[in-house]
Amino acid sequence: MESDTAVNVTGVIKRFDEVLAVNNLSLRIKAGSVFGLLGPNGAGKTTTLRMILRIMVPDEGSIEMLGRPLTESSQDRIGYLPEERGLYTRMKVREVLLFLAGLKGLDDREAGRRVDEWLERLELNQWAAHKVIDLSKGMQQKVQFIAAVVHRPPVLILDEPFTGLDPVNAGIIKDIMLDLRQKGTTIILSTHRMEQVEMMCDSICLINKGQSVLDGELAAIKRSYGKNTVRMEYEGDAGFLDQPQVVAAVNHFGAVTEVKLCPNADSQEILKAAVARGVRINRFELVEPPLNDIFIEKVSGVAHA
Amino acid sequence: MHKLWLVIKREYLTRVRTKGFIFSTVIVPVLTIGILVMQIVTASRQTGRTLNIVVLDHDGNLASAVIKGLDGKLKNGQPEFHVVQTLERPPAGTEDNLRAQVLNGQLDAFLVLPSKVTDGEVSAEFHTRNPGEVTISGELNHAVSNAVIGERLHARGVDIRDVAQVVEEVGLKVIKVGAHGETEEKGQTIIIAIVVGMLLYTTLIIYGVATMRAVMEEKTTRVVEILVASTRPFYLLAGKVLGVAAVGLTQYGIWVTVAALVTVYGAAMASMAHAGTMPSLHLSGFMLGSMLVFFLLGYLLYASLYAAVGAMVSTDQEAQQAQTPITMLIVAAVVLFNIILRDPNSTMSVALSMIPFFAPILMLLRIALQTPPFWQIALCLGILGLTTAALVFLAARIYRVGILMYGKRPSLAELAKWVKYT
Repeated sequence: MESDTAVNVTGVIKRFDEVLAVNNLSLRIKAGSVFGLLGPNGAGKTTTLRMILRIMVPDEGSIEMLGRPLTESSQDRIGYLPEERGLYTRMKVREVLLFLAGLKGLDDREAGRRVDEWLERLELNQWAAHKVIDLSKGMQQKVQFIAAVVHRPPVLILDEPFTGLDPVNAGIIKDIMLDLRQKGTTIILSTHRMEQVEMMCDSICLINKGQSVLDGELAAIKRSYGKNTVRMEYEGDAGFLDQPQVVAAVNHFGAVTEVKLCPNADSQEILKAAVARGVRINRFELVEPPLNDIFIEKVSGVAHA
Repeated sequence: MHKLWLVIKREYLTRVRTKGFIFSTVIVPVLTIGILVMQIVTASRQTGRTLNIVVLDHDGNLASAVIKGLDGKLKNGQPEFHVVQTLERPPAGTEDNLRAQVLNGQLDAFLVLPSKVTDGEVSAEFHTRNPGEVTISGELNHAVSNAVIGERLHARGVDIRDVAQVVEEVGLKVIKVGAHGETEEKGQTIIIAIVVGMLLYTTLIIYGVATMRAVMEEKTTRVVEILVASTRPFYLLAGKVLGVAAVGLTQYGIWVTVAALVTVYGAAMASMAHAGTMPSLHLSGFMLGSMLVFFLLGYLLYASLYAAVGAMVSTDQEAQQAQTPITMLIVAAVVLFNIILRDPNSTMSVALSMIPFFAPILMLLRIALQTPPFWQIALCLGILGLTTAALVFLAARIYRVGILMYGKRPSLAELAKWVKYT
């Protein structure tokens, strides 16, 4: 049982002066899964990640990685792409990567081999001898990504891995993430982009004010909410949605409209009203609520409690 | 420990490879040598040319003595003056004639020795087209004066050679009494002391500030977040401090070697050029050893302080303000130079040299001037060592927290909290 847990956070508390940054947080991250760590700004995500990375020490509670308490050498088995990117701008790309790989415990030869491999894979090999400052933002991001994975860490922490990347490069990084996961890497993904979480994560933990407010397998969480949302496309007047007994909330995205149903309401009522008013329905689909809505509900719900 | 080594290596190599380092390390000695060589070359090649002159002796009793005195040689061995003609009791109008010759370049100059010049009522005159050329005027003046004085003495029945013997001055040598024997003092002790003190002063500031900038660079570029996820903050701090120190030692090593070569070469050139002997600035092994020890301890002390400042600020302006008190401490040591120079063993001097922030510079100054009692050096090193250790510890604690904190510079109370964080 213990062996299939990559990271086990138990009852962790971290205070900064009077502020409780992390309050009695427990997480179990399954080995080989993609785990989403979500939460509003200032919820304590970065502090939690920093404690897993052994940058900070919890005031109370314990953290285990791969079945063992964190030690200095556990830093060599974890890769990190911080949200605030940073590299030595005046060093050459290959030298920066060799240095960072060395700090993760690779010897010179092995580091050289793997850095070259990765530069090639991410189409950066002709930039190897250039200074980091000469690279575009997107290229610097890819260099930073290499620094996070070059030592083949069993646990990989990615904080907003796709920001600043064009769709092509985002696709490349996504493919690499899936490939790494296939090979058994546990990925902890921290992001505000809920559609990415929905597409990539096996399980999630949503934290707010340092506490877990929602936690578990993504599919199970969504199932528990039931199919209480209608995703539709229509042509005509929106007046047919004005049914307080049936429609709890409407979210227009332009082409697509999401309608949240009241508890026990029948979605057929909406169709009937549309037909009665001569509105043309092009799409009508009963779905689980988007994670975005669950996030907002949970976070604002706790905030009001 | 391997990771510490990697941090030191990166810090060292990236610094040593910068244009700034290569420039300051290579260009400074090259310029120094260049200037020295130029001086030696111009000094040895300062040939000038032989001046063709005519001597007009109105009384006819001085010319031969003056010409005898004009025996100066140029660097190339040629005489400075060539007397084309001596005219005793010249007829009126001769000077106009000679003036015309000087103007059209047939003659370089003419020297007029009027009658009554021995009475001191009139001056001798040197008519030349180019007075700037007369760096020789000293010699000319000497020759004329000697001739006149000789003539006056002769009139009184005294031989000038007797007088020269009688008025010969006695030299005075200043000898420094030291533990390792006596050395002739030509002002070199004070020169060495001041040079060594200033050297330490500039080094502490330059490399201290360099350490601060290195810490700030990692903080502002946010590289530090990946670094602390890979190794201990203490290794990062120690790596910075030691890496920059190694850069400093490399630079000084290069300069000292070059300076030694230049001194040897320069001395050889100087003796070849008969330009007189230079005062020998000899540094004893004890002095060099003390310099190294006090530089290292002083650098560790100040670099820790500068590094802590680098870790607690987020912008250049904040850094500028926060480093000022530290820099002032180093400057204060230099301001206190005079007290030590006046009397290196006064109670005041001893007390000041024990204060750890001044000790690296002031104790070294005292050692250079007059070796203090052993117990004082030992006590000083003890205080300095303990203070440095304490400051390194504090700096490491501040560094660890500071590098991950952005925003407003912390107050002293907040700093105290940082030190206590686990």
